[in-house]
Amino acid sequence: MNALNFLLTNFWSLLVLAFLGLVALRIVWRVWRYGATRAELRHVLRRSPFYFVVLVFCFFAAAPFMIMFLHTFKTDSDLYRRPQPFVYRDEPTLEHLDALFNNTAYLDFIRNSVLVGVAVVIITLVLALPAAYALARLTGRWGERAGILMFLVYLVPPTLLFIPMFRIVVLLGLKDSPLALIVVYPSFTVPFSMWLLQGFFKAVPPELEEAALVDGYNRVEAFLRVVLPLSLPGIISTVVFAFTLTLHEFIYGLVFIADTSQRTLSVGVPTELILGDVYFWQPLLAAALIIAIPVGLAYNLFLDSLVQGFTMGAVKG
Amino acid sequence: MSIVEISGLKKYFDAVRAVDGVDLAIQPGEFLVILGPSGCGKTTLMRMIAGLEKPTAGSIQINGADVTELPPRKRGVSMVFQSYALYPHMNVYNNIAFPLKAQRREKKFDKATMRGKVESIAKLLEIDELLDRRPRQLSGGQRQRVAIARAMVTQPAVLLLDEPLSNLDAKLRANARDELKDFQRSSDITAVFVTHDQIEAMGLGDRIVVMEKGKIQQIGSPQHIYDEPANEFVATFLGSPSMNILRGERHNFGFRPEHFLPKTLQDNPENSVSFVYFVKRVEYLGSDRLVYGYIGGHENKLTLAKVPSNVRVSLAIEDEYEFAVQYDNIKYFDEASGERIKAPADFAR
Repeated sequence: MNALNFLLTNFWSLLVLAFLGLVALRIVWRVWRYGATRAELRHVLRRSPFYFVVLVFCFFAAAPFMIMFLHTFKTDSDLYRRPQPFVYRDEPTLEHLDALFNNTAYLDFIRNSVLVGVAVVIITLVLALPAAYALARLTGRWGERAGILMFLVYLVPPTLLFIPMFRIVVLLGLKDSPLALIVVYPSFTVPFSMWLLQGFFKAVPPELEEAALVDGYNRVEAFLRVVLPLSLPGIISTVVFAFTLTLHEFIYGLVFIADTSQRTLSVGVPTELILGDVYFWQPLLAAALIIAIPVGLAYNLFLDSLVQGFTMGAVKG
Repeated sequence: MSIVEISGLKKYFDAVRAVDGVDLAIQPGEFLVILGPSGCGKTTLMRMIAGLEKPTAGSIQINGADVTELPPRKRGVSMVFQSYALYPHMNVYNNIAFPLKAQRREKKFDKATMRGKVESIAKLLEIDELLDRRPRQLSGGQRQRVAIARAMVTQPAVLLLDEPLSNLDAKLRANARDELKDFQRSSDITAVFVTHDQIEAMGLGDRIVVMEKGKIQQIGSPQHIYDEPANEFVATFLGSPSMNILRGERHNFGFRPEHFLPKTLQDNPENSVSFVYFVKRVEYLGSDRLVYGYIGGHENKLTLAKVPSNVRVSLAIEDEYEFAVQYDNIKYFDEASGERIKAPADFAR
């Protein structure tokens, strides 16, 4: 225990020491294995501050997930004693996970969120694919203005819109139902996805479509057989993005649905697991982590094409 | 009967007159080259034949049927794009089969027939080894062959080619030009070829259409266009270096640098016009010497002479010589319109 305590209290100095050790090891390795010259060694030394900074940032990015994971299995007494985030002083326990799944509506939240997310993504694709294609090919002044105008819709904040939207939801008789969210969420996913998709479509050379037209297809077929397959990575990353937009939306979910079992994750988890000023930390962190991992993985897979989509939309040509 | 009949065709983009009244009849089986500087409307003309651009006015007939309002797929034409426009997500086989798949919906033929068609055209173009590759795994020359195979596999009435050689490097280009011509002759297809490269045009074309500012300047065989240009534009656009044009008293007149030779070298000097030629600079180009200088009385205009290297005449800088041009090699142009006119009877300088 003493060694562990020493390790934790001197965490930062140890990180620096470990890093310097790695640099030294690398130098020794290079000299021994390749007979590295002085210039090469200087290169390694000059690059090392860069890698140190990268290491620190990696730690910052990963630490919340580590802490969430470790805390999930901590007992209350372990958690509320003088905090040592990386160490178990009591035996790890599964009681909080058990509570999360069996004593709260967590599974309902997941089901509702997935249902709303999938439905909204489908609606979004149906509306945004043709719209984005039209905007990408309407290269005149008109198309560009229409695109910007539609994107402006996205910039109106939900905190401004939820009151009038609430009236509409009540009029439609959808209050307290996930259907309310399925109707409302496309109002921000469509303009956003359209903007993103437009960039991907613009990257497909018009000549390819013209070739398809000459080869015997009409415009819709050319779109389906040439443009769509070529922008598939972009479309998938748009799907991921639109899905996460619905996943973390809070205010509509809070206002339109009061029935706990009908709520989505982003609203259900904080309202169920925070009572007044009492935070049920372990289930709260577990609930967040379980959802964050698949989303994080999906983002990582499509990160490159996502970045491409943003920049392609922004730069002409 | 002509296979494509274009009459009064116009295309305006707002104020820009890309194609401004074109009449053209394309004969079956001919290799027609549309030649012009960039921005002369040649590509727009071809895109209108393909149906990718809607004409502002005029009509296009293919095989006797008016196709002016028809979409590209109903015209029976196919096209090779400048960038080849191969579908990057399909392998070579599927690229070539793509137009056949569209046809399969109407003309019922089975998959084996389709495979047979693709394989035979691939064999003809010597790309049958590449059918499983993706376009990005091909060289420029191979891509061009795939593009031609895709265009030819449906046996279209007319094959349109939009500068298909411009993406190849110089060595490959000469080779590809040969093969393209052979292929066209053996398959007997009607080809319309757009280019800004006069050497390509002269080498490939049965007939050349010279365009400028959206209008046809002249139509004719390569030799006819070179020897008998219809106006000053055609005269100066073709030939390298281009024709010397000088201002006469009443008319402009011109002659090609290769016809402008020392008087002693002329075959029959009594049938030629002599000039005092002041040599300013001589460039040695291997097969020729390119001479820059001035003609007496026309000091404001640099005049070029192209003297074959095997002719042993010393040409010193800053010296005067007697050069001459045969009468029938001098062309006369109207000063105002630039149109070719007959040699004036009393012509003397």
